[in-house]
Amino acid sequence: MSKIIGIDLGTTNSVVAVMEGGSPKVIPTAEGRNLIPSVVEPAKNLVGDVAKRQMILNPKNTIYSIKRLMGRRISDKQVEKTKTMVPYEIVAGKDNIASVKVENKTYTPQEISAKILQKAKTDAEAYLGDKVEKAVITVPAYFDDSQRQATKQAGEIAGLKVERIINEPTAASLAYGLDKKKNETIAVYDLGGGTFDISILEIGDGVFEVKSTNGDTFLGGDDFDHKIIEWIVAQFKTENGIDLSLDKQALQRIRDAAEKAKTELSSSTETEINQPFITQGKDGNPLHLTIKLTRSKLEELVDDLIQKTIGPVKAALKDAKLKTSDINEVILVGGQTRMPKIQKTVKDFFGKESHKGVNPDEVVAVGAAIQGGVLMGDVKDVLLLDVTPLTLGLETLGGVRTPLIERNTTVPTSKSQIFSTASDNQPQVEINVLQGEREMAADNKSLGRFILDGIAPAPRGMPQVEVTFDIDANGILNVTAKDKGTGKEQKITIKNATNLTEEEVEKMKADATSHAEEDKKKKSLVDAKNQANSVSFELEKQLKEHGDKLDAVEKKKIEDNLKNLKNLAAKDNVSAEDLQKATQTTLESAQKIGEIVYKQQQTEAAKSGKGTEPAKGTEPAKGPESTKAPESAKTPPAGDKKDVKTPPPAGTKTAPPKPPGKESSAKDKKAKDSAEEGEVVKE
Amino acid sequence: MKKSKKSTIVSLTNQLTEIQDKWKRALADYHNLEKRIASQQSQFVKLANAGLIDKLLSVLDNLETAQDHIKDKGLSLALTQFKDVLKSEGVEEIKAKGEKFDPEIMDCTDMTSGKKNIITKVTQKGYKLNSTVIRPAKVEVGSGTKK
Repeated sequence: MSKIIGIDLGTTNSVVAVMEGGSPKVIPTAEGRNLIPSVVEPAKNLVGDVAKRQMILNPKNTIYSIKRLMGRRISDKQVEKTKTMVPYEIVAGKDNIASVKVENKTYTPQEISAKILQKAKTDAEAYLGDKVEKAVITVPAYFDDSQRQATKQAGEIAGLKVERIINEPTAASLAYGLDKKKNETIAVYDLGGGTFDISILEIGDGVFEVKSTNGDTFLGGDDFDHKIIEWIVAQFKTENGIDLSLDKQALQRIRDAAEKAKTELSSSTETEINQPFITQGKDGNPLHLTIKLTRSKLEELVDDLIQKTIGPVKAALKDAKLKTSDINEVILVGGQTRMPKIQKTVKDFFGKESHKGVNPDEVVAVGAAIQGGVLMGDVKDVLLLDVTPLTLGLETLGGVRTPLIERNTTVPTSKSQIFSTASDNQPQVEINVLQGEREMAADNKSLGRFILDGIAPAPRGMPQVEVTFDIDANGILNVTAKDKGTGKEQKITIKNATNLTEEEVEKMKADATSHAEEDKKKKSLVDAKNQANSVSFELEKQLKEHGDKLDAVEKKKIEDNLKNLKNLAAKDNVSAEDLQKATQTTLESAQKIGEIVYKQQQTEAAKSGKGTEPAKGTEPAKGPESTKAPESAKTPPAGDKKDVKTPPPAGTKTAPPKPPGKESSAKDKKAKDSAEEGEVVKE
Repeated sequence: MKKSKKSTIVSLTNQLTEIQDKWKRALADYHNLEKRIASQQSQFVKLANAGLIDKLLSVLDNLETAQDHIKDKGLSLALTQFKDVLKSEGVEEIKAKGEKFDPEIMDCTDMTSGKKNIITKVTQKGYKLNSTVIRPAKVEVGSGTKK
């Protein structure tokens, strides 16, 4: 079944959107932009950006603002006014309908608009990778029947079945989900590139009724640009005595700069207009244009334009027999409403904040796409896929929470990760399933725990325990732990893993944010302790193996450092920095071991004739593990491996304060890294 | 009793069709998304730099204008280097002067005397990045009248 696209067929620009996976998406054009300039050159069949670029060259044949003629008679006032403004020829067509004449051929506004719609269709098909045959097209609320009919015909000429014509303000309300409201009055303030519309709507039982409309069909963002251009030209003239408006090339650069400045001043309060070498002075020296434009200056420049919009707003309210206080919702539409001053003016007028999206120039198309989705049956009752409101994870060594399924993941979903043991010959691992956003296990909610036992005796880090979290569409969480060596498996089923009230979720999220700093500290302390412990464990092992080759003084030094480190790690009130420092000192003193081992290796290598270059100038590997590179090959990749908290032998639930000999994944990674470094040195 | 069974069957069949339809649609959405992501990714790799390069181009414009005025040897070297870097990233200048006007790659800002439809002057150079236009050349086009 083909999709129904939503098209905002605008006076200056058109936008296309479509529902995808239950949410609206604006379709980018072939040129990679989100909007199509509503410009057509019918003789050469150019549409959009391409047509706009050749407008100056080909003014008589380039049609823009065709919407102003849509479904109107040649005697219509609006047509008369448009006639004086555009360079192309407007003639009376069949039944005195306003049409345009290009190279002796007459085109109806329907045919011209159809070219834009055709491009919309082609771009949408390219984007969706599927045929598009149906559309919802928007029109201004004041369009009469013949104008609506003409718009529908335009769609049909373009090969689109027009499923519905909807009002632009209605589309905007749909985009903000206001159709779900009951008995409300909505004001839609739409200031686009070339036109201003204000519409008052009433919504009841999902049906929109237009109470009144008003506006100014010749007021828009372009007028704002002109004000800035005029100001820049005037400023330059007073400073340099040169009128830039006479220099077409300079004017072009100012036009671009003015638009850029306007956009920038919507987010910052000051901008610099910089156009070096804009022209030459009377003495032949180059002149540069550097002007600072502040937001308040801009607001002053365009104040009359903004005030001009208030008249029609008042008139529309009067027609609808309403007061500003009767308006429940205000919606801003059109790119120009990004300007903070406009937002403030509207807010002050209605006495309430307005709905404004990030892209006010796209909301109408988005609303049309939503309407299309409703017609397709896509939106009415979308299969609402749940998301997990909070992160699900498990407790790992040192009481740290390791996340498996991040919050906001759409369910059903499944994730698995390989963990390992933390001490030699560890017979079992305990899986503590956690829900929450905090870094430390204890601060999160424990959903359940179980033990996987029967792990064959092996050095720590060797056994591979695969833990799988699987949430089905009903929010039921299955946690499975499997020992890959023995194939032994243990599982737990937790119902309603996603079923939390909104308040609970909010509270847990808020907690996480407010404790983020403190949690991070706690976690880094645990990490530091884990590292200190594993370093001591490794060094003890190394000392046992190679200690006899060291001289007594050095051996004593290492042993002292080691003892100090172990004491420090056992303390509760130690800081992460101190621990890291102590770990570092211990490792440095232990470098002697590495030196001896390498020296021995080299001597052996030299004896066997395969002499390796002594690693001059290269730093000795940092970790003692470097001597044991082969071991790392046997362990799974560090990224996939975490050590699961070992339950104490007695079966009590809380782990004793970090007994030495446990190791964290962070250490594992480090060990592996240094192992690799070690290899580099050898080469 | 029998009747209610029948109606249950009917309602269940309807539900099944509806669900099948939704499932197919979701699946189709997903497949299309996959395809699009694949094509977007290759596009993305090609054009990832477009935004940054576009910003750099206006700096290049100004440096070139400056060079036209001051004609400094050092600046000229720096400009060559700058252009070489852009070239190595796949940036290519659109040849416009003396060419026939083409709105796909050029933007006409003015008409001047000169050969009809032939570019008489480039007011802002245009550029392609890996064959895609990132900035059309701003040009003045001959109107067919003599000076």
